[in-house]
Amino acid sequence: MNKEIKKKSNLSYFVLFMILGILTAVFFAANICTGSVNIGLDSLTDLICGRGGDDTVRSIIVDIRLPRTIAAFFLGGALALSGYLLQTYLYNPIAGPFILGISSGAKMTVAVAMMVFMNAGIRMNSFTLIMAAFVGSMISMLFVLFLSDRVGSMAMLVISGMMIGYICSAITDLIVTFADDANIVNLHNWSRGSFSGMNHENAAVIAVVIPLAFTGVLLLAKPISAWQMGESYAVSVGVNLKAVRFAIVILSGILSACTVAFAGPVSFVGVAAPHLVRRMFGTVRPMVMIPACFMSGAVFCLFCDLLARTVMAPTELGISTVTAVFGAPVVLAAVIERRASRMR
Amino acid sequence: MVKDTVLKVYGLDAGYDGKLVVSGIDFQLAEGEILSLIGPNGAGKSTILKTISAQLDKKSGSVSFKGREVSLMERKERAREIAVVLTGGIKTGMLSCREVVESGRYPYTGILGKLSDTDRQIVDDAMRLAGADIYAESDIDRISDGQRQRVLLACAIAQEPKLILLDEPTSFLDIKGKYEFMDALVRLCKERKMSAIMSIHELELAGKVSDRILCIRDNKADRYGTPDEILKNDYIAELFGLDDELMKKFRD
Repeated sequence: MNKEIKKKSNLSYFVLFMILGILTAVFFAANICTGSVNIGLDSLTDLICGRGGDDTVRSIIVDIRLPRTIAAFFLGGALALSGYLLQTYLYNPIAGPFILGISSGAKMTVAVAMMVFMNAGIRMNSFTLIMAAFVGSMISMLFVLFLSDRVGSMAMLVISGMMIGYICSAITDLIVTFADDANIVNLHNWSRGSFSGMNHENAAVIAVVIPLAFTGVLLLAKPISAWQMGESYAVSVGVNLKAVRFAIVILSGILSACTVAFAGPVSFVGVAAPHLVRRMFGTVRPMVMIPACFMSGAVFCLFCDLLARTVMAPTELGISTVTAVFGAPVVLAAVIERRASRMR
Repeated sequence: MVKDTVLKVYGLDAGYDGKLVVSGIDFQLAEGEILSLIGPNGAGKSTILKTISAQLDKKSGSVSFKGREVSLMERKERAREIAVVLTGGIKTGMLSCREVVESGRYPYTGILGKLSDTDRQIVDDAMRLAGADIYAESDIDRISDGQRQRVLLACAIAQEPKLILLDEPTSFLDIKGKYEFMDALVRLCKERKMSAIMSIHELELAGKVSDRILCIRDNKADRYGTPDEILKNDYIAELFGLDDELMKKFRD
């Protein structure tokens, strides 16, 4: 039964990347144009070309929608990439920062840090937010990795991760509930996951940190290609296992920490996007997977944020509500498929 | 003509963490030679192979490859000299056999892992030599065990090593698969002047292809010699602890 792999040429990769690029552009524009005030493409081009236009329109676009859209784009990509790295590390296609409780760990430390800073009367900037989230995601991640050495089955690991997630979320809720400061209203929204409330500084930091991390992941493409065949293979062709492990964990942590710091926990993107990409591209080659995961995660989050803002307008849905609707079935499909391939 | 010695092992003690598995291993391997390790399960054959490839730290003694201690060689350099054929599946699907073999070029490519035309040529040659070229584009998950073993051999060949280590390479193969695999290995050692060390349970096969055989028993090297010296019925019975009572049931 020598079934030939559907051979994907460089051309078909190119076409798929073009499609992802076009989708990104379309949803990016749609996110900027739609909302409580709909803005036509013509006034958008006017604005870009600097032909004056309405000041209110300008402020809506530049101060509210643009930072939010930029955040959704980069953070979506970051989530997908973080999930891809975790899946690679654990040899488990249903691993992801949300499912394994890593996002919730970051959420908890960010909530604690926010409380401490608010009580001290200091405003947290983007950098301290990221640091707090990074500490939390590292704590959760190290715990998950510690468990993965002891828990034999992948299913048990996922369940353990979810439990870590519940514990962290419960602690976060407790903190949020007892915080009576007026400022804390934002905290409640954030702890449910949302791209709202981004300012210019947030967007700028995101647009710098995420591309840096992305470059770091791209530099790991070669060792990952050997790693994914199995650890012993990787060692036998000369991979420095310790260094690669360390790099994967740190980069995955930074990527998911960034997302949580600014948007709170966003569910399922980290699992769904890499799975869809594997199906679409029919390869596991890291040089294709890494950029494709990033782009599809970005498209996915742009799309979901658009729905979150518009479906029940003027009420806004939590972003995780929307991502779960589209992401969870994909995860289920991945589980079933994995089982089917085992039976073969 | 005196052949160059590729590998010298003496006084080697090997094991995991605190536990010593085998001790006092001595042997030498010349260019183009095949050495078989035989002995009961759990005697420490795999441990020896893992220690020679420096996947495990040795406890004491020396493993010297062309005069250099293996554990002190740089990773990339070691991968260019010593390749390992692992038994057992590859952990990811959606990978063509060619892509698996291409990973053997790892120690030769740059930071982005891009293959040159020379690399591709070497990959093609390796697949042909291992008899794996016919299913180069098949998914590694969807070929038979015998075919997969030859793909993994091709992957090791693509590393262009001087020494190949194989851990029970034929254990899960049917008879035809066993012979095809050994045929490829012998051809390889002749044509490329590569040496090989393998652990193996098929004694008859080991006798036919090996230049020397090292017997491991009770965590020590027991005998070391040519197949003719080693493969005698009395000794094999002793090595594997077969007693008369057990064997009587299977005679006649």
